[in-house]
Amino acid sequence: MIGEDPGRSSSAAGSKGGFPPLRRAGRIGLRVLGGVFVLWAAATLTFFGLRLIPGDPAQAILGGPGSQASAEALAAVRAEYGLDQSIWAQYGLYLSRLLGGDLGSSYSLRTPVSEVIGAQIGGTLLLAVLALAVAWAIALGLAVWSTRGGRVAGVVGSGLEIVAAAVPHFWLATVLVLIFSTTLRWLPAVSTQGPEGLVLPVLTLALPLAGFLGQVMRESVLDALDAPFVLSALARGEGESGVRWRHVLRHGALPGIALSGWAFGWLISGAVVVETIFARPGLGRTLLNAVQLRDVPLVIGVVLVVALGYVIMTVLTDAVSRVADPRLAVRERELERVS
Amino acid sequence: MHRRPAALLALTAASALVLAGCSAAEPAETPSTPAAGGTLTYATGFGEPTCLDPHVGGNMPQALVGTNVLESLFSQNEEGEIVPWLATGATVSDDGLTVDVALRDDVTFTDGTPFDASAVVANVEHMKDPETASSTAILALGKVTEVTAVDPTTARFTLSEPDSALQESLAQTWLAMESPAGLARGMDENCAGPIGTGAFVFTEWVQQDHVTLTRNEDWNSAPEGAANDGPAYLDEIVWRFIPDPATRFAALQSGEVDVIDEMQPDNVVAVQEAAATGGDFDVLTGALPGASIRLELNSGYAPFDDERVRKAFIHSADVNPGIESLFFGTVDRSYSVLSSSTPFGASFESEYAIDSDLANKLLDEAGWTSRDAEGYRVKDGKRLTVDFPISTNQSIPAEVSLFEQIQATTKAVGFDVQLRPLDLSSWYGALAEWDFGVTSAIYTKNSPDVLRILYHSDNIQPAPSGYHPNHSHVDIPELDAALTEAGQTSDPAERAALYEEAQQILAEGAYVLPLYDHLTKIGYSTDVQGLSLLPTLQIPYFGDAWVQE
Repeated sequence: MIGEDPGRSSSAAGSKGGFPPLRRAGRIGLRVLGGVFVLWAAATLTFFGLRLIPGDPAQAILGGPGSQASAEALAAVRAEYGLDQSIWAQYGLYLSRLLGGDLGSSYSLRTPVSEVIGAQIGGTLLLAVLALAVAWAIALGLAVWSTRGGRVAGVVGSGLEIVAAAVPHFWLATVLVLIFSTTLRWLPAVSTQGPEGLVLPVLTLALPLAGFLGQVMRESVLDALDAPFVLSALARGEGESGVRWRHVLRHGALPGIALSGWAFGWLISGAVVVETIFARPGLGRTLLNAVQLRDVPLVIGVVLVVALGYVIMTVLTDAVSRVADPRLAVRERELERVS
Repeated sequence: MHRRPAALLALTAASALVLAGCSAAEPAETPSTPAAGGTLTYATGFGEPTCLDPHVGGNMPQALVGTNVLESLFSQNEEGEIVPWLATGATVSDDGLTVDVALRDDVTFTDGTPFDASAVVANVEHMKDPETASSTAILALGKVTEVTAVDPTTARFTLSEPDSALQESLAQTWLAMESPAGLARGMDENCAGPIGTGAFVFTEWVQQDHVTLTRNEDWNSAPEGAANDGPAYLDEIVWRFIPDPATRFAALQSGEVDVIDEMQPDNVVAVQEAAATGGDFDVLTGALPGASIRLELNSGYAPFDDERVRKAFIHSADVNPGIESLFFGTVDRSYSVLSSSTPFGASFESEYAIDSDLANKLLDEAGWTSRDAEGYRVKDGKRLTVDFPISTNQSIPAEVSLFEQIQATTKAVGFDVQLRPLDLSSWYGALAEWDFGVTSAIYTKNSPDVLRILYHSDNIQPAPSGYHPNHSHVDIPELDAALTEAGQTSDPAERAALYEEAQQILAEGAYVLPLYDHLTKIGYSTDVQGLSLLPTLQIPYFGDAWVQE
């Protein structure tokens, strides 16, 4: 869905010759339908995916290293959670509950899934939003600096971006802890209530993302610098930096904005690693624990919330793209006129 | 936070000492007097319990945190002997079927409920109730048919057959005593904060982050052998969950936490070397009771249903060099199925000698005569493959590397060992379906009766639970008889003889390859004083501990 031209999708699906408001309604309706489909597919794939990997949820609920479950206890647990029914019966039951807005109850924590997610989502969102912001700041700074600083800066900038983008989270986290916690003792290795505990986790997530964002942004900044509108702006008497910040960067940011929807999903998957290494509470760690315990309702609950966040982010980045690039709306209107 | 004047004085003196001692030689470690106050932060790698009541399920994470709050009827000393805790003693009838447990009359749960025989009855009923979904406690109470309150200080256990391990079982935190009023609140509430008689009280649980334990000012029931009979010195223990071992160690080094568990062998060595020259950290280790870490050969299915193939595997799996290099000398090779901290262990070193000539000869005799292009032995067109599922939750990286060395050394005689790292649930699944040739499983139990659980033929059958502790699929009537009899007799000499016989049968039949003791590895800041391991399950004990500022 990322990078797709909203105008094209509306003309393909919208009714031909209808009134513009109706088309807009159709476009929104289609988006909602698509979102619902994404959520259903995510829930279904997760449900059956968890059944494909071997392992007995009942055993995991009772077990854990160093303890062995008795037959009676396992039977009781299977009956309690409906694990003794057929997989289709379990799927049907689950889906019907889901339609009623009930995410069910976690096998392992014995509390409603919505409560667990409600308690954990804040930390992960904070982490993701901060990481996204920091990644943007780094990427923009790098893009501007490296396109202005000549050949050497260009090579250095692009090199830094590639290295940053290629670094895996777990490695980066360990190195950051080694430098800033163990050696310099500037920052805590594990999460604390205060803001200092956020620095290393945010950096771990932001640096690789900044690499990705920086790469695509620098490309289009370079393209924009050669574009005729830069020359005409300069000719109008605008200053060099004014042109750079107001026109070129706006242009350069477009692929970055489009990428941010994807980045959100990527940040959540990174949160699994980062939250585990830095011992931060959050959805990522909840998801990891839930998968290990075959806690199906909790896994699906988290996956659904992440999928929902992804859908919302995609819509948001579309909207922001329109604001940043008025050409999109113009192109859409033209397409509507043609059709 | 208020501090006693004496502690303040000690603090001033200590800082003066530090200032004065800058140029002087390292000041000798003087045993400081316990100072009340302060918060200790403990970081566990064992994972977060899903329920804090160790009656429910019953695993190590629950026991570790629970031991600070919940106390047991008995404890054990360094030698593994039963010593009083909430109970003052036990009288066993001549037929071994009635055990009268005498209780302390001066202990109260932190909710005000008195601890008495009716509380013991309520606890045993709770553990045996299927609704509780207990696994460890219910198994340990298998021979207990009924518990009655004879009078307020006498609880009578009635057994279906004599149980020499009963008092050892009752010493485990999984069978700890909780307030009956607390149990009556229902599972959800009790899981969030069971009420005990211990040195600390559960006061807060922020999931995925920490549990807070606060001092019980009325605590008067330390186990025999403890230095402090109450109340505890620490104001508070913050129990944190830090799954990553590198982060846990970094947090200890940077002073964010005071005590960590599940240390990696290389960190243990680094800390021990630094401690020898006055470092800021030290290590406490203890062998977990129960079975040693060992490989279980699945004798129920091919290829290990043939004793010659099992023997060939054991005589070719050269583990000593791996244990020395991968564990940096932190563990010793074991030749016993029982942990060194469990009584009645017997070593049969010669049965595990490395002898590749013998291994080759045995495989030839077993019909695995030809080899394929890659050097693996083949019989009837089938390769000599040994499937080896590994639980990555239980096996630390050094252990997985050791298994890789076993894979390499057994390849020389023609075994194709397939290592299969799995998460816990998948690993349980593979075991339940007997879908393995060899595996390594942990079993912690503070009694040699663990042998009966692991190797009695009763524990082979999977239905209906799917779980079978007897992974080796050992089914030998003489072994069953020896284990049953050893579990019933209370004569130490007789028990020793029977357990030795049982271990000899296992060693000679090549069902198990013992590797080393399962160690508790606790790292701590030397600011923490009075820390010890409770021998029953080698769990850190904080009733005597204080923080030296």
